[in-house]
Amino acid sequence: MKTVLTTCPYCGTGCCFYLVVADDGRLAGVEPSREHPVAAGRMCVKGWNAFHFVNHPDRLTQPLIRKNGKLEPASWDEALDLIVSKLGSIQAEHGNDAAAFFASAKMTNEENYLMMKLARAVFKTNNIDHCARLCHSSTVVGLAGTFGSGAMTNSISCVEEADCILVTGSNTTEQHPLIGSRIIRNVIENGAKLIVADNRKIRLAAFADLHIRWKNGTDVAFLNGIMNVIIAEGLEDKEFVATRTENYEELKKVVAGYPPEKAAEICGITAQEIIDTARMFAGAHKAMIIYSMGITQHTHGVDNVKSCANLVMLTGNLGRPGTGVNPLRGQNNVQGACDVGALANVYTGYQSVTDAAARAKFEKAWGVENLPGNVGLTITTAINAAADGKLKALYVAGENPMMSDPDQNHVRKALENLEFLVVQDIFPTPTSEFAHVVLPAASFAEKDGTFTSTERRVQRVRKAIEPVGQSRADWEIFCDLAKRAGYSGMQYGSASEIMEEIASVTPIYGGITFERVDEVGLQWPCRTKDDPGTPILHIGKFSRGLGLFSPAEYKPSAELPDSEYPFVLSTGRCYFHFHTGTMTRRSRTLNREERFPYVEISPEDAKELGIRDREQIHVGTRRGELQCMARVTDVAKKGVLFMPFHFDEAPANLLTINALDPVAKIPEYKVCAARIRRSS
Amino acid sequence: MKAYSVQELDSFFKSLESHYDVCVPVRRRDGTRALGAPADGPLTLAGGPVPNKITSVFFPQMEVVLTASSDRLATPSPLARPVFVVGLTAQDADCLEFIDRFFATGFPDSVYLRRRQDSVVMCVSGRCGADGQSLKIAGGKCDLELICDGDKYLLAAYTDAGNAQLDKIHGGTETPAASLADLEKESNALPNEDFEMIQAASALLLKNKVPDEFWQKVSDRCIACTSCNLACPSCTCFDMFDREGADGEVERWRLWDSCQLDGFMREASGHNPMGKQEVRTRRRIHHRLAADVSKWGHVTCYLCGRCDEVCPSGIGMKSVCREMLQQYGSA
Repeated sequence: MKTVLTTCPYCGTGCCFYLVVADDGRLAGVEPSREHPVAAGRMCVKGWNAFHFVNHPDRLTQPLIRKNGKLEPASWDEALDLIVSKLGSIQAEHGNDAAAFFASAKMTNEENYLMMKLARAVFKTNNIDHCARLCHSSTVVGLAGTFGSGAMTNSISCVEEADCILVTGSNTTEQHPLIGSRIIRNVIENGAKLIVADNRKIRLAAFADLHIRWKNGTDVAFLNGIMNVIIAEGLEDKEFVATRTENYEELKKVVAGYPPEKAAEICGITAQEIIDTARMFAGAHKAMIIYSMGITQHTHGVDNVKSCANLVMLTGNLGRPGTGVNPLRGQNNVQGACDVGALANVYTGYQSVTDAAARAKFEKAWGVENLPGNVGLTITTAINAAADGKLKALYVAGENPMMSDPDQNHVRKALENLEFLVVQDIFPTPTSEFAHVVLPAASFAEKDGTFTSTERRVQRVRKAIEPVGQSRADWEIFCDLAKRAGYSGMQYGSASEIMEEIASVTPIYGGITFERVDEVGLQWPCRTKDDPGTPILHIGKFSRGLGLFSPAEYKPSAELPDSEYPFVLSTGRCYFHFHTGTMTRRSRTLNREERFPYVEISPEDAKELGIRDREQIHVGTRRGELQCMARVTDVAKKGVLFMPFHFDEAPANLLTINALDPVAKIPEYKVCAARIRRSS
Repeated sequence: MKAYSVQELDSFFKSLESHYDVCVPVRRRDGTRALGAPADGPLTLAGGPVPNKITSVFFPQMEVVLTASSDRLATPSPLARPVFVVGLTAQDADCLEFIDRFFATGFPDSVYLRRRQDSVVMCVSGRCGADGQSLKIAGGKCDLELICDGDKYLLAAYTDAGNAQLDKIHGGTETPAASLADLEKESNALPNEDFEMIQAASALLLKNKVPDEFWQKVSDRCIACTSCNLACPSCTCFDMFDREGADGEVERWRLWDSCQLDGFMREASGHNPMGKQEVRTRRRIHHRLAADVSKWGHVTCYLCGRCDEVCPSGIGMKSVCREMLQQYGSA
């Protein structure tokens, strides 16, 4: 029996724990790390079960190549040579941008960096993206525009220091349990004020001073209404606004159009709720916003994020402990995958591909010429391009678009249209069913590297066991491919050497080394080898200089309920499962807890339609219809349905709408029109 | 009686590894103190209870209990080396005595007993608790005990298995009998507030003085992380599952379970008599402080404090009992 310290592969909180390795070389459990600054000896249910899927018999253990319509075992040589030759021939015929690469928030920083480098330096395309597109691309755009840095401004420990916390669009106790529990403790032990703006009656609502059950998608009107009251009552932080920000007059002008009565009417709440929220938030010495997908996954996701930023600037809640705009990243390394450039428009550290100087810098560092200068396709636009027949080849590593992207029939058409699809994963997925080549990847427990958590903390991932079967670490696969494609600049002896290269081209990671992040990690920006890291951003000055007030007008969601589809359908995660369920549904305890796909429906609606709890019902939208179990619960508000997207037997994304934020290209997973009917 | 330095004890534990699977409190790379092999980090005897579920050395989180192929069924073979575990507190020793009884009563749990067989249990007590506190002396509840006098560790053997180890340890200095007597006096004088509190809480529950509203409020704070159960050395519940390998051989595993989860008691129909969190929260406390009193004749929480340490939202056993007594103690 041995134990190996590593970082949890689930949400972005970034808890470290020890994997327990049995004498037969298989994982047999986990143990908490009491000294870790975030975990502090604690874990959530997914953490306690994070070892379980690793040795599951379904693991992919050898490369597969489609022959005569069937995926058949092949050698690594055969599979990798085929990938290089097919990508090469497709690009030769249709241009470099006929191929796209999907990296993954589940891979390490080093692996995301190398997949990005493979796409850009070897295959000369900026068509590289990952699932941040589907969760927080609006945060990256929105906060970079207002503050100059698109990440959580403060640290997780700040949650315990706030006097007032506005939680909006985040079911924190379920999706970031060790952050959610800090909110509960701060409320109970320190008397912090809590405002929950979420139409679901989530666990945190039981502790809230104000629970605002607004209509889905009216976030901008709500936030503008709050700012209207704050300005009208003179509650703004005048000094902060005067010395730290710009464009205040424009903000005043826009929010003047949202008196509480008008905002309340749009949001379906009372004017008093808006007034109370404004006074409570502005009245606190240290107030913070915590948000997640409920803010970002809208066609107006960027507007929502900017409105959150406006509110904290207006009240001077930045650059201090216990304050800030704190987007909680949903996956273990979604922050890091963004940081190291697995995005269509930037290299590492958010250096733009359209900036000739940045291109020249990377050309020199990588020893290549003619890096492309156009912004590439994103996950969502790449799928659209494949459906239109414009994208011919797709390489998907650690993603599962058939389950995670909106409008599954549209995704199916896109994948069927591809001339060549490579899927690299640890388990077979609904996406790999369409693949021409499947590569078996090593899991988080079988490789070295780093993940970057939601609080920008770069932490170690450590190899505890040997990769199962013939599976290989993603970074080793990318290096092998680069070599076969004739590029010699991607050969490394270890993951640590890759981080050295990342640090050399990425100012915000300049001081990161494996040695320095060995025990508790470091929070970026960490620019030099003696930089202690940055727990709180924007102290004294924003990354862009002055904070830019970026007011937005309320825009309705793309598809609102009508007489034919009278319900709002919102999708997301449940507590026991994670994303497309590839890992949690193969974890005994977690899958036992939520065995079936379900839809939450309010008791009022259930009564009206004669639906009983646990009864099978049909849920339909203009995209399709599926059957699942009704969960009659007062968590759901009348008129609103909620469905998790983990279940391939009833995939919620069969129903969602492929409507995108015009800037961030994030889909509107949180609002579409739906109808339900009893199955029998 | 002899007293030994940490270095002498470290050498002793390392010398045992050829015969035993040795588990000692070590300081791991990130500073976490936990049970591990002597090579896993520096020996750290001082510091009170180790955070791990101490009974995990005999009842690990997940283990194979049966292997089946087309022509045979096989139970796990006996351990190549029995367990030698160091670092239990007196409370841990009480708890181990209980789960020994639990796993041996009725249908004997051969998988547990296999690991327990020929094992040697060594407690640590005296002037070596966390923050300078003294730890209660376990006495005869273990095979061996190290009693810290503030500098060295007095070694006491209580059983044949314990006495058999004494000639294997080298060094040590003779200590006057008065030293042990002083330490025993100190141990007997240690405050017993937690014990009194848990007994008072148990009495409240047995008298049915705690209303449902209390459990509702406590359960609102429960995020169903299951840590209370998975860190508790008294918790013995497990779930079973099978995995089929590529060669057709099926392994039957058991895995720690938690009564705080819906699936723990859910019926095949989907109905669950404990389908609400407040019912499960009540059960967690009630089981240890009331139901087990009827079944075993005593409370089965040993006040080790692990659930309070690991609970993210502050509703471990001691915290809940304190709140219960504050609200209903005078009733």
